[in-house]
Amino acid sequence: MRRNELALLPKLPLLITESNDEFDALRDAFERQIKPRGIIEQMYVHDICSIVWEILRLRRCKVVIINSAFRSALEDLLTQLLKQPGQNDWHVQDEAQALAQGWFTDKEAKKQVSEILSRYDLDESAIEAAAITRSSTDLELLDRMLTSLESRRNKALGCVAEYRANLAHQLRESADRIIDGKGVLRVEDAASKRSTAA
Amino acid sequence: MASERQIAANRRNARKSIGPRSGAGKKRASGNAYRHGLTMNITSTAAAAKQLDKLVRKIAGNTEDAIVLERARAIAQAEFDLARVRRAKVALIERASALGELDPPRLTVTQMIRLVNAFERGAPIPKPIDDLATMPPQEPERSGEAVRRVLPELRKLNRYERRAAARRDRAVLHFSTVSFNCSLKL
Repeated sequence: MRRNELALLPKLPLLITESNDEFDALRDAFERQIKPRGIIEQMYVHDICSIVWEILRLRRCKVVIINSAFRSALEDLLTQLLKQPGQNDWHVQDEAQALAQGWFTDKEAKKQVSEILSRYDLDESAIEAAAITRSSTDLELLDRMLTSLESRRNKALGCVAEYRANLAHQLRESADRIIDGKGVLRVEDAASKRSTAA
Repeated sequence: MASERQIAANRRNARKSIGPRSGAGKKRASGNAYRHGLTMNITSTAAAAKQLDKLVRKIAGNTEDAIVLERARAIAQAEFDLARVRRAKVALIERASALGELDPPRLTVTQMIRLVNAFERGAPIPKPIDDLATMPPQEPERSGEAVRRVLPELRKLNRYERRAAARRDRAVLHFSTVSFNCSLKL
């Protein structure tokens, strides 16, 4: 039943680097929690999974953006810290570039960078802060998209609840109408017939 | 560049035109306002229309009530619109990941002036930056960089996605009301 319904819904396209199995596992997890009944609820679950998948993709991207800004951020920071009064950027730029390059691969360069940072009471979190500052425009855009997606996910979850509540209300109302309209009338009719016969 | 008189003559002549006459010309002109196709009707291909009909039938159930069917169609249509925007998003990221950028690089006016000045001075003309060469070779950095490069476009697509989702939610609400009223009639 579930497979038939899923086949009717448009398939979520994934990036070639993303795993279909992981997406299916995510959807199964949501289905176990929400227990969708009928195609409309299934549609909402599919929507929620797609949104969550995109949120995860953008969060991964956020980390990548910060990490890829590390080298240039470290270079800027070292240029600032190595510069003596009266010196220009280009006086220390080569040294900063070599140290920034070495920080990723060379233990000695890493130690040297830590020493330079500690001279100004700084540690490696200063590099992270510089990297975040450098990519703030992209991060802001990403954050806006993430906020929008999160609000849509919450709305979709709310829609499932609303749809169920609506359905339950309608079923209750139908049941009431059947009882009030037909069932009760017959009892009254039977009672009145008995009284007239007596 | 065309003179004032030529521009005026072109405009006069254009006013006499009654538009394309051949079938091919009309077909080409019909796509003049085409931008990205995200607001296009899904039923434009036979296979998509068939798939849409199946979903409509599944949502509406056995009913033959025209209003219920129409509401179910609105839900299915919005669902397919959502899927189309999502496909466009993935295609954008894949394209940026494969080519490094979306459009061929365009020089700004300042860059053009610098280039001309350099050419006049006899200085070597700088090589254009190869966007693909600046893409990280490994995953997940490559996909991350691709997403970063198409962020403004992704944001625009998000707007379409939000609208399609809102349309679907409204359609579901209308559908449940209409199908309940229909069941009362029976």
